[in-house]
Amino acid sequence: MKTAEETTTAAPAVPTQAATRASQPLRRRLRWEHAVLAPMAALWLIPIAMVIGMSLLPTSNPKTTAFGMFPAEPSLGNYVEIWTNNPILRNLINSALITVPSVLLVMLFGSMTAFALARLRVPLKAVIFGALTLALILPMSSIVVAVFKILQSMGLYNNLVGLVLVYTALGLPFAVIIIRTSFLAVPEELHEAASLDGASKFTVYWRIYLPLSRPALAVVAVWQCMSSWNDFLLPLVTLQDNELKPLTLIPLAYRGVFLSQPGALFAVLVLISLPIVVVFLAVQRYLVNGLSGAIK
Amino acid sequence: MTYVKIDKTSVRRERLAGTMFLLPAFLLFVLFVVYPIVYNVQASTLDWDGVNQGVFTGLGNYARLFDDPIFITTLKNSGWWILLTIIPQALIGFFLALLLNEKIRGRAIYRAIFFVPAVLSPVVVGIVWQRMLDPFNGVFVKVGQATGLDFLARGYLADPETAIFAAIVVNVWMWTGFSMLFYLAGLQLIDSSVLAAAKIDGASTWRTVRSIIWPMLRPTHLSLLLLGVIGSLKTFELVYVLTEGGPNHASEMLPTYTFKQAFQLQSVGYASTISVVLLLIAVVSSLSMVRAFGSGFLTGDAK
Repeated sequence: MKTAEETTTAAPAVPTQAATRASQPLRRRLRWEHAVLAPMAALWLIPIAMVIGMSLLPTSNPKTTAFGMFPAEPSLGNYVEIWTNNPILRNLINSALITVPSVLLVMLFGSMTAFALARLRVPLKAVIFGALTLALILPMSSIVVAVFKILQSMGLYNNLVGLVLVYTALGLPFAVIIIRTSFLAVPEELHEAASLDGASKFTVYWRIYLPLSRPALAVVAVWQCMSSWNDFLLPLVTLQDNELKPLTLIPLAYRGVFLSQPGALFAVLVLISLPIVVVFLAVQRYLVNGLSGAIK
Repeated sequence: MTYVKIDKTSVRRERLAGTMFLLPAFLLFVLFVVYPIVYNVQASTLDWDGVNQGVFTGLGNYARLFDDPIFITTLKNSGWWILLTIIPQALIGFFLALLLNEKIRGRAIYRAIFFVPAVLSPVVVGIVWQRMLDPFNGVFVKVGQATGLDFLARGYLADPETAIFAAIVVNVWMWTGFSMLFYLAGLQLIDSSVLAAAKIDGASTWRTVRSIIWPMLRPTHLSLLLLGVIGSLKTFELVYVLTEGGPNHASEMLPTYTFKQAFQLQSVGYASTISVVLLLIAVVSSLSMVRAFGSGFLTGDAK
């Protein structure tokens, strides 16, 4: 709370800087904002620096420096260790096998639904939209028992396909809402012109709307990537075989083993985080526009 | 809408096309969203261990809620969580967005730094913060010892009085960047000529922010409020990893309690009851927000 108060009282200075922009030398203007942002960013980075630091902690020497953030004697041994002694590659592949299909399916089905709701005559539009918002607020933990039973009866217990389907279903509401907003921003004349030229609805959707909504699709892709890659409740409940488990289950599944090897645990955490951070950085520039419903 | 050549077949064909577009989502939706809700409601009337035949108890499980001190704790914790995550996240996020909407050097890097915690898995965030707050090896303890700030050197997660608040601090660290991103998106939609006009009228910076920018971001505030309330009610992973709802249920949230009842205490009927109540709270609070503020902020129609 303290920081929140401090930050709001500091807020006024920003546009003043902008107002007097011309009269001030460039360097001074920059320094003020950085003087606030840089310490905050440093504070925000501490936990991240610590994960990386601790992942270099050798089992043989648990001494640390820099307030317990870095090992006294850093080594890459943990990465070698988790790669050779545990079947971690298998888990990494499992995570990808869950995430990639669910992202693609959510983008496809979500944008199809969004197209129907934004530009086609469909019955019960309001009801569909209401149901979607209901699903948006549905907590995973409250349906996990039922989902577990359903997957069991479909023969998809202990199967990655089951996870893909559930993640796709749960990701749809957010996808539809974001993509629909972006579809609504596409001028309707484009659609009419294409229809007059004999284009089918599917062609209009595939060739005009989808390419124009790249920022919105980027937002959806990142969001879905995050939620499928990072989730561990559903795999915890529906996967039994160790060779099917995604990466996120590893830290908890091998808690006992990691107790004596904290460095290896943190190396696994880095491995879990790396792909998702890379995805985020790759699409970062689309995110703000995608969220504001802009089209490209 | 002045189509000249609208005949019945083309309408029917368009409806058919629309249905085909909706079909895959619809099927998944019925299977994994609608059916589980029905299933929960039904199971909530049973005394059931999830394996053997359940015994019908009517509203017995619901009556049990009122006598369950842990359930009351989860409600109280959810209240704290809603209050103490949404407000700080909004204020810090708004402030960061104001600064990072300017064309300053390193803007993309700053944005990335503040947003990255939100893309990490709660498993990662939970374990890292456990270590940060560890009373022996943690960063807080070491900084406390080095600077003499003794209050840093406490085991916040292990103390029933503070565990939930420690988890809330971690949540704020994780999600503030998300609020920032929403505000950045909202700021994009403010017409710069309005701000230019304010400047010409001699409005001070503080006044521009308070009387123009903040009110114009109303849809963003509302979206974040709604997402914040729902997100708070949904919180499972972070608490599960940080404290497992402990010590002694002190940091229990509705979802962690549901999970314990269903998968550790084999009390599936009662777990379903808690789920139904959770869902009801979520639906009622979102509906009342939509009622009070209109649904435009949610659907984007207001823009």
